[in-house]
Amino acid sequence: MSDPFTFQMLVNYLIIGAGLMALGTLGFLSRRNMIVMFLSAEMMLQGTALTLVAFGRYHGNWTGQIFTIVILTVAACEASIALALILILFNRKSSLDVTLWNEIREPGQPAIVEDPAEAEATEPVPGVESYPVLTPAGIEPEHQTWTVHRD
Amino acid sequence: MTEFLIHNAWIVPILPLIGGICAAVGGRWLKGNSHFPVVAGIGLAFVASLFLLLGEAGHAQPTPLGWIEVAGLTIPFQFRVDGLTTMMLSMVTFVASLVAIFASGYMAGDPGYPRFFAVFGMFVSSMAGLVLSSNFALTYVFWEGVGVCSYLLVGFWHSKPSAAAAAKKAFLVNRVGDFGFAIGLFWLWSVTKNHDLSYDAVFDATNLATIGHGALLGITLLFFWAATAKSAQVPLYVWLPDAMEGPTPVSALIHAATMVTAGVYLIARSTPMVVLVPEVQATVSVIGCITALLAALIALTQNDLKRVMAYSTVSQLGYMFMGLGAGIGGLASFAVVGAMFHLFTHAFFKALLFLASGSVMHSMGGVIDMRRFSGLRKKMPITCITFAIGAAALMGIFPFAGFWSKDEILAALKLASHESEGLKGFYPEIYIAVYWTAIVTAALTAFYTGRAFFMTFWGEEKLPSPHDPEADPAEDAAHGHGHDDGHAHEIGHESPPLMWIPLAILAVCAFGIGGLLGPTGLFAHHVEHTPGLAEIEGAAHHEFDYATAIISSAGALIALAVSYLFYGRKSTIPAQLAERFRPAYLASLNKFYVDEIYAMVILGPLKFLVATAAFFDTVVVDNLVLAAAWIPRLFGRYVLAPFQNGLVQFYAAVTALSVAGLLFVFMWLSLS
Amino acid sequence: MYTFEIVRAIAVIVLGATGTWLLLPHRHGRVKPAASNLAGAALSLIALILLATLWRAPSNLLNGVFFYAFGIAALAGGVLTVTSRNPIYSALWFAAVVLATSGLFLLSGAQFLAAGTIIVYAGAIIVTFLFVIMLAQREGRATYDRMARSPGRATLTCFLLFWTLLYALISVRSPHSDAAAEGDMQVRLVRASQILQSKQMVPTKGNASVVVRALSPTNKLPEAEPHASALGQHVAGLGGALYTDHLITVELAGSLLFVALIGALMLATPKPPVRPGSSSQPPV
Repeated sequence: MSDPFTFQMLVNYLIIGAGLMALGTLGFLSRRNMIVMFLSAEMMLQGTALTLVAFGRYHGNWTGQIFTIVILTVAACEASIALALILILFNRKSSLDVTLWNEIREPGQPAIVEDPAEAEATEPVPGVESYPVLTPAGIEPEHQTWTVHRD
Repeated sequence: MTEFLIHNAWIVPILPLIGGICAAVGGRWLKGNSHFPVVAGIGLAFVASLFLLLGEAGHAQPTPLGWIEVAGLTIPFQFRVDGLTTMMLSMVTFVASLVAIFASGYMAGDPGYPRFFAVFGMFVSSMAGLVLSSNFALTYVFWEGVGVCSYLLVGFWHSKPSAAAAAKKAFLVNRVGDFGFAIGLFWLWSVTKNHDLSYDAVFDATNLATIGHGALLGITLLFFWAATAKSAQVPLYVWLPDAMEGPTPVSALIHAATMVTAGVYLIARSTPMVVLVPEVQATVSVIGCITALLAALIALTQNDLKRVMAYSTVSQLGYMFMGLGAGIGGLASFAVVGAMFHLFTHAFFKALLFLASGSVMHSMGGVIDMRRFSGLRKKMPITCITFAIGAAALMGIFPFAGFWSKDEILAALKLASHESEGLKGFYPEIYIAVYWTAIVTAALTAFYTGRAFFMTFWGEEKLPSPHDPEADPAEDAAHGHGHDDGHAHEIGHESPPLMWIPLAILAVCAFGIGGLLGPTGLFAHHVEHTPGLAEIEGAAHHEFDYATAIISSAGALIALAVSYLFYGRKSTIPAQLAERFRPAYLASLNKFYVDEIYAMVILGPLKFLVATAAFFDTVVVDNLVLAAAWIPRLFGRYVLAPFQNGLVQFYAAVTALSVAGLLFVFMWLSLS
Repeated sequence: MYTFEIVRAIAVIVLGATGTWLLLPHRHGRVKPAASNLAGAALSLIALILLATLWRAPSNLLNGVFFYAFGIAALAGGVLTVTSRNPIYSALWFAAVVLATSGLFLLSGAQFLAAGTIIVYAGAIIVTFLFVIMLAQREGRATYDRMARSPGRATLTCFLLFWTLLYALISVRSPHSDAAAEGDMQVRLVRASQILQSKQMVPTKGNASVVVRALSPTNKLPEAEPHASALGQHVAGLGGALYTDHLITVELAGSLLFVALIGALMLATPKPPVRPGSSSQPPV
């Protein structure tokens, strides 16, 4: 408890906060899986929260923590909405790929189509495939018409 | 009361305006009663102007109100009360109130009833302001107001193409004249002392002496140019006959009281200037003479009753200008009074004739072609008698109003030929030629007026039917000029009291007013009080010219008798004459092809210019604009559009890169 | 010293960018050689250690050890979250990031936040997990997880951002402490005398605690106000600050949560998509 929160300590925290922020941005920009993008956004929020808490501690008041609480609240709201959105987006296209959602482009611009062949090949797993394979059994439930599967 | 009114003369023009505004704003609720505020406003204005007329002594200037005050130009909003003004004002408001009462019967059931009366009120208001204003600039404002209102009224049935065209023609021709007025006004402003445009300052003898002959000549000619448009003189008279397309009360108002008298009033008001340039006076007289003769010749063969009346108006206005131009030297006062007296009496009998024609038209279900009806004296006795009185006044038959006023003009012309003998040039010859032409024109006037009267009211009784050979096939659709509200009155009845009572009043005036005011000198005495007229040297020689009176009356009576012979009974003489002199007949019937010549000489080159400009606009200017628009378009298409590729992550990357760049710039700025 | 720090920072950026770029999934349609992954990991690790040398160790040894551990864990977890091919691993690494951040919160004296973050994000992570399992492709690794969107450009952007921040942080100098605290003390004394006057109180033993409680600031951390804050330490202090100075914020946050709940319910309820051209009306 006798450890004073010096300016150097503040800089330490801020560097970590900046690093988390930058890594979150990297994930958000480069990963195409919407869930990973969502996690990256959360990571950026973590970086910000860390910065705020450190500033609050350095200045000796509660404001940073109260900001962080607000951020936490907003993050919770964001999470609920984002997951709901991801759910319905998945229902539309049966895919979490964010590249599929590029209809807001300028008219006349070519749509960006990814060639799956360019993807990194999966590493060959040595030995037998470890996933269990279950035989379908029972009555097949009625498929909902609004789900479009892209197999 | 009189004092109060003289000092608050603005009440007179404001009353019809208030009536008009009431009709315009409240027309939705007043509907068929929209005429009440307007009739009341004009009637009250008439009462007020009677006070002014009787109480006016010399001339009084009511308090001025500030209007335009910029460096070098101070124009007050000021009215003035003098002899000429009160005379014009009483005449205008009197005739206008009678016409308004007539119109409330004539226009009944028209869908645009409130609109009609709103514009009517404004029209009368503009005219009252025009004759009341005490400086040229204010006169010009009301001059334009009269033009606008006449446009609105002539084009009242604007869904009818011919009415819309007529309104446009009236307005454009008037614009041509207004242009002259405006230029004259600027010129006058630049040469007059202190740049003061008020009548008093301009007509001041010392001021006029400083202006110089050339400038006076130019200014007065420009004013006369404006007057030829407003008062329908050669070469700008072409709009007036077409203005028949408006409702008949409007025609009555335009022809008798308001619009066309404005030009005559302007020249009469400018007399102190005009009298200094005999060249302009002679021009005015000659133009008036040519107009009078030409219009009379055209009127001889027209079949449309209202059109005959329209050309007779043009012709009579020509008379007035002849009179105005005859004021050589000491004659000025006499000649101008004569012209104004003719204007005064003409207002009454021409209003009467027009309203009577309107009554005939109303009764004939909108048909105005004289070949399609005849012998109406049994069906419409009141209209017949009042029309006869008006016609007699127009012919100048003793003792009707027209006789006295026309005679004064002829006398003035005759005197002018003597008076001008001292001047250099051919003035005596000119004036004597004008004099004799005027007498011939008087005979022609009598002939065509008699022709119109006999064709309409004499002969065997005949009502228009759609099977007439002259019937316009499109007429059934436009039947009755908008009287399509379903009250299908049967054709051939006497008009309702609301319409014939104004006729009767006007008939009394047309009969008596000339003899009452002319020989007794009441009118001359009143008008001569006008500043500017009174000061001209050499008082008027008031002497009745018996020789002229006898010659012109004899001519008129002979012409009347001939017209009775031709048209009062069944006769083939007119047809034979028309066959014999076919080119002359056709020329007259087609108005001497003046419209066609104008179309070729003026409209043709203009249309070519317009087409060239349109071509330039569409080909050159439009393409330049389009080319300018292409640059941002190309930039957007090939530089900016690829950024909008629809990828969320791309947008986010651009945002992040921008943030990083901004941070970098800020940091660099703050550290360096 | 300063120049050396700059050099190290540049090294961190360059090595980190290269390592992360190597670790990210690329689009060449082949199996990525293990050496490339290894090189990436090694470079990233070196960058991380270099970054850690930029930190100043706290005076307290225990604090120092935990700080370094949590800091390195947070950043390493971040790199792994971003670069994992499998979203399940991503979620797990993100959990590690959250845990490390919570540790850092604890170290900076934000106990409530540390607990709160773990609780909230634990819920979020579990839900995310459910989602990943529910929506994951049969193979476990969808093609889009094995193809990053332009990894080079993204890495450049992000490390440029990081470089900007890092440069700002290492080049800034410690500000001088000011005498604001003493001025604050003066104001507080004036306020105390005013309260006593207006209530016409005679300072006695009974009402002394009331005055102290009324005067004690709500916005001060217990570390900054070591002299017996009557509002209690840490969590109680945060509660005091929340419900006195930031009451409306709390209300707003509650309303926001409620609205978000309704919004999420509205969004997630299954309904047929409205497509242009489809004539069928959506069921009411």
